[in-house]
Amino acid sequence: MDSGVKNSARPGPDRPNPSRPNPSRPGPSRPGGAKRGRSLGQKLKGLLGLHRDGAVDSLRRMRAQPLNTIMSLMVVAIALLLPALLYVGGKNMAQFGESLADTNRINFYLQTDISPTQIELLQTSMRDNTLVERVEFISANQAAADFAIWSGLGNIVESLDNNPLPASLVIHPVDTRADTAVQIRDAFANEDGVRQVTLDQAWVERLESLLQLVDRIVLALILVLSMAVLFITGNAIRTHIASREAEIRVMSLIGATRAFIARPFLYSGAWQGLLGAALAWIFVQLLLLLFRGPAQTLLAFYGEQYQFIGLDMRASLILLAGGLALGWAGAWLSVSRHMNRWH
Amino acid sequence: MIRFDEVSKQYPGGHQALKQVSFELNKGEMAFLTGRSGAGKSTLLKLIMRTEELNQGQILVGNRNIHRMAASEIPFHRRRIGVVFQDHQLLFDRTVFDNVMLPLRIEGYDKHEAARRVRAALDKVGLLNKEKLNPVTLSGGEQQRVGIARAVVNRPQILLADEPTGNLDPDLAAEIMLLFEQFNQIGVSMLIASHDLSLITRLKHRILTLDHGSLIKDELQPSKQEPASRNSHGANV
Repeated sequence: MDSGVKNSARPGPDRPNPSRPNPSRPGPSRPGGAKRGRSLGQKLKGLLGLHRDGAVDSLRRMRAQPLNTIMSLMVVAIALLLPALLYVGGKNMAQFGESLADTNRINFYLQTDISPTQIELLQTSMRDNTLVERVEFISANQAAADFAIWSGLGNIVESLDNNPLPASLVIHPVDTRADTAVQIRDAFANEDGVRQVTLDQAWVERLESLLQLVDRIVLALILVLSMAVLFITGNAIRTHIASREAEIRVMSLIGATRAFIARPFLYSGAWQGLLGAALAWIFVQLLLLLFRGPAQTLLAFYGEQYQFIGLDMRASLILLAGGLALGWAGAWLSVSRHMNRWH
Repeated sequence: MIRFDEVSKQYPGGHQALKQVSFELNKGEMAFLTGRSGAGKSTLLKLIMRTEELNQGQILVGNRNIHRMAASEIPFHRRRIGVVFQDHQLLFDRTVFDNVMLPLRIEGYDKHEAARRVRAALDKVGLLNKEKLNPVTLSGGEQQRVGIARAVVNRPQILLADEPTGNLDPDLAAEIMLLFEQFNQIGVSMLIASHDLSLITRLKHRILTLDHGSLIKDELQPSKQEPASRNSHGANV
């Protein structure tokens, strides 16, 4: 038992007043004190108190070493920042995916000499097809007007003597499956008056797989950087443990349970994760503030329905909860590795 | 209170620290454990605390075989035992008050109740006026008394001390022993390891002598307070 902390004990100049240790006073060491009769309520209150102490104590220790704390928090924050930004980017790109899935349609460009009756007939037969949900007629004039607006080449279109654009029939299929679109195309491509058929399906599919890839990349980065956060806090807690070795030994000798010894370290891991995540959240908001203006302008070119999406409430909560859980888990890794030395 | 039955302890590497040691310390009894350095005094105390495992025999503390306990029970076993170390093992990152508070914090005591007990313990060792100081500023004798206050603050039934006066001059050592006797008078069983024969023979308590791991003498000396006989129970229990 005589190991460890070297003491500074030396025969001091003081001589305790002989009357000081007072035997007549009720001693603190009467066996079987009140504690053995503590009620469940008192015990619960005691346990709550222990948790509060652990939480407060670990915060106080973080505050006592501001530079260390700030650096650890920054590392955690930066590790969490990247996946959060990618998530926001992915969210914004996904808007296009959704609205382009809506534009899943087949264009039948018509011959210029087609008669209105023929168009009417063609349109009716298309509507009767079970794979078709809706048919839209776009006249040559409307196509020219749309093109003028869409391309910004209004002057040139107006300057042309006759409209080079054909009228078209646009079919919206009942579903977004590729073979549905192909069946529809095959059904009507050879009808009289149809000059050309275009299918946007391939393009939509390409965009969708791109978005899926982005999703996977975000997921992989979240995993990798979560591991980073886990090991960063794990290492920080390991150094905390090393610096409090003497205290841990004394506490173990006077009857502290493993849970009691581990608690402040677990709390500091959790704090580190939570505060790191909060810092990451602030950084994300600052960066989004920076991106918002240009991004809004860019999105406006594609139409009013596109809005810049920030970090929503749900994602924010996941970020904070994730940080907390990772910090706790990192601390737990270090603590459990040291546990066996505490007896 | 404490019973050793044929206890042997061999450290990894072959050093035989204890050889078939048997004795019994009764409730409320005070005994000294003596012998040269390396005779096995510290090992014997460590076995009672179960910071070391034994190789043979059994140790009963309060009728429980402590080396059959699950690891999760060990902290609760240790809470029933107060320990005073030669180098007092105080923590210098907190006040005297917080050092003495530690065992009560571990047990999750209510703050006010705990503070009351800490002050009672500090009063008992005569350091109530130093509760706000850092122990590093105290003298060796005072530090040891803080260590004693911490050992008794949760009112253990057993108090162990490992060379508690090893770093103190004779007057201070006598002071500390007087304090131990006072705790013994209110019913605490005590086992104190000390090689300071001149001091402990003056005190008229039972003396267990270890030599190279064997218990070679178990002398019952007439005590000042109680007629000490091997099987007598403490007078104040």
